[in-house]
Amino acid sequence: MDIELSKADLEFREEVTAFLDGNAYKPGEDYAAWRLNWFKAAAEKGGWDVPKWPAAFGGPGWTPTQHYIWEQETATRNLPWDLPFGVGMVAPIIMTYGNAEQQARFLPDIRARTVNWCQGYSEPGAGSDLAALKTKAELSEDGTHYVVNGSKIWTTMAHIADWIFCLTRTSSEGKKQEGITFLLFPMKQDGVEVKPIITLGGSHTVNTVHFTDVKVPVENRIGEEGKGWTYAKGLLAHERTGLAGVSRSLVALEKLRRQAGKVKRGNGSLLDDPSFKSKLARLEIDLKALEYTELRSLARAAAGAQPGPESSIMKLKGTEIQQRIALLTTEAAGPFAAPWGGASVGPSFASGGTQSYLGSRAYTIYGGASEVQKDIIAKNVLGLKAKGKAS
Amino acid sequence: MNFELSEEQQLLQDSVARFVADHYSLEARRKLADSTLGYSEDHWKQFAELGWLALPFSEEDGGLGGTIIDAMVVMEQFGKGLILEPYFATVILGGGVLKRLPPSESRTARINAVMEGHMKLALATTELQSRWDLHDVVSTATADGDGFVLNGTKSVVLHGASADGIIVSLRTQGGQFDKDGISLFWVDPKAEGVSLKAYPTVDGLRAAELTLEKVSVPSDALLGPLHGGYEILDAVAQEATLALSAEGLGAMERLYKDTVEYTQNREQFDHPLSDFQTLQHRMVEMFMEYEQCKSLLYRATLEFAQDGMDASKSVSACKHLVGVAGRFIGENAVQLHGGMGVTEELAIGHYFKRLFVIDTQFGNADYHLERYAA
Ligand SMILES: Cc1cc2nc3c(=O)[nH]c(=O)nc-3n(C[C@H](O)[C@H](O)[C@H](O)COP(=O)(O)OP(=O)(O)OC[C@H]3O[C@@H](n4cnc5c(N)ncnc54)[C@H](O)[C@@H]3O)c2cc1C
Repeated sequence: MDIELSKADLEFREEVTAFLDGNAYKPGEDYAAWRLNWFKAAAEKGGWDVPKWPAAFGGPGWTPTQHYIWEQETATRNLPWDLPFGVGMVAPIIMTYGNAEQQARFLPDIRARTVNWCQGYSEPGAGSDLAALKTKAELSEDGTHYVVNGSKIWTTMAHIADWIFCLTRTSSEGKKQEGITFLLFPMKQDGVEVKPIITLGGSHTVNTVHFTDVKVPVENRIGEEGKGWTYAKGLLAHERTGLAGVSRSLVALEKLRRQAGKVKRGNGSLLDDPSFKSKLARLEIDLKALEYTELRSLARAAAGAQPGPESSIMKLKGTEIQQRIALLTTEAAGPFAAPWGGASVGPSFASGGTQSYLGSRAYTIYGGASEVQKDIIAKNVLGLKAKGKAS
Repeated sequence: MNFELSEEQQLLQDSVARFVADHYSLEARRKLADSTLGYSEDHWKQFAELGWLALPFSEEDGGLGGTIIDAMVVMEQFGKGLILEPYFATVILGGGVLKRLPPSESRTARINAVMEGHMKLALATTELQSRWDLHDVVSTATADGDGFVLNGTKSVVLHGASADGIIVSLRTQGGQFDKDGISLFWVDPKAEGVSLKAYPTVDGLRAAELTLEKVSVPSDALLGPLHGGYEILDAVAQEATLALSAEGLGAMERLYKDTVEYTQNREQFDHPLSDFQTLQHRMVEMFMEYEQCKSLLYRATLEFAQDGMDASKSVSACKHLVGVAGRFIGENAVQLHGGMGVTEELAIGHYFKRLFVIDTQFGNADYHLERYAA
């Protein structure tokens, strides 16, 4: 056992911070231009724009420790905005299951961040039970294209997306996991209708999407017809590991500590308040534990082993901790957690804290609701069989 | 021992419940919350006609002589309907101060105006540094000739911008944390040097920042004894805490019941969600927490009705549990509704947000736990 970083790792950390600081956004700069340039500069470093992509597709081929260092350093800095759907979600599927022509066609734009994607999985009747999805794709008689009809819901950023990766049903025979087909198609075309859903914080990120006779050429099908479930499942696991956000939580917790230190409580600060102090400490203990759980899992991966049981708890614990940090931030704001609608009153972190708290409620719902995640762990890790199982 | 409502209280409960059913569909509430005023003057008139505005005032004052139990009955139903009108600010807070003042012409006139529905009130106590400590006051009132000059800022003043009169706690002597030396003043929002910055709160209600800049007021703007305002505030805060707890209880009831209903209707994996044992147990916990809150609310309310300020420990116990259970029930109602839970479309998100705000008012769960333990 050894927790020291090697000399090479320390040098890597310096290289990372030099890059991040050297390319930081300067006030007044044209943001959109800076953003695209940032990704270009990161690409020139040798795949730093796509850290998780395999080297064969232009990724940096980092060791798990290098990934960890990158996570840590980027968590404390403002990176250009980036949606997870392209680089993080659909790209790995295209790399693994798409053909060479599809890889050449889609990956460069995804990598350059010039095309935005959205994920069309969930439907009104198919949430946790995703395999119950009904959106229908019918192959035309001449076999050149599918005709897609149906509805998706909760589609994040569908209103700005250029393309969607979509699970559709091509057959209702057999098990419901069979007969699902993975299609890619443009969003800005006739027959695709996007309607906003307003969430608790009053913001618009999710949508319903309706398809009426949308024609999708067969060249846009990933892999084989009817095998979409297998492809998507691989991706879901990928999606979940990205949701623990340990580095970001560590940064958020430090920020909360600084903020609470400025909140007056009698002659001291909130950090002298026994219940607040113990909540903060408890949160830190859980987070340190999770940090080491992640490191253990990284070390295993570095040794070339399969992800162990520890990796399965990352999403559950990670999102729960994010929610608790958000909640405790609102508690630090006290009476000032209530003002809303851009009212800048009380401590400067107050309104953002409430916004985060409301937003954080969704963390235990998307990417696999917590209850269902636990069913999966019970089955796959503990080897338990249950009545009314979810997986 | 008897925990049943009296016949009169039952009638009151029915009439508030009927009002809620008739006027507070989610759609109607949404429209009101989005309007400039944020509530309905029409509803306010009905409140007056139904006698709800006269409820806590004594019969000598022309009121109905209702007790804290009546206030609890009304507020619980308001909680079920997520009422937007400034009943709490005007009747419980402002009225709570007015009814505790010694007789005077202005007191009578103001109580009458409140009961008739012509006057709305607000109570301004919170300061940037004070959190929920009513005795932590740095805004000042200084004697000046026959009257006083007021200076300072008060925060998150509920319904401050639609109030016709704002009652403000100010320091007239002593240090920042002294209970002695706090006095209450009547501030006319239109007076020179008074400014209000209004904003919505996350639950769709309204609040304001109040700034007093060299505001000159006559001597009769002082309400109650000079330096002796804290005692009044403390008593009003107890009633307010109970009223908010009752409102919270109403919201919790809706949340757990809506969740039980939703999970019976929503199917996943070819089963209603309510078939899944883990969800059943969660809902049982929500239900139990609700019942426990109800017990503590009854206990604190009955004790307060009987012993007044000696009940403060019970009041803190109640608000603590309302904070904790309200959070638990609210968060789990959202969770068990899945994606639907985080939308503005369903009622539950709005109840969840109201409970969130209730925990920020008159002391959160931790604050009352500390008071209880002290
Ligand atoms: C903010 C947000 C963004 C999203 N973005 C996207 C997106 O971009 N693309 C996309 O396709 N989807 C997206 N989703 C959808 C998300 O994946 C679903 O909300 C999620 O899968 C849960 O499904 P549901 O909402 O239908 O809830 P339901 O499946 O109805 O679940 C409701 C509750 O029941 C519980 N439950 C369900 N089954 C069981 C069981 N067997 N045992 C015990 N408990 C159970 C759940 O845990 C949950 O608490 C998003 C959702 C949100 C909230």
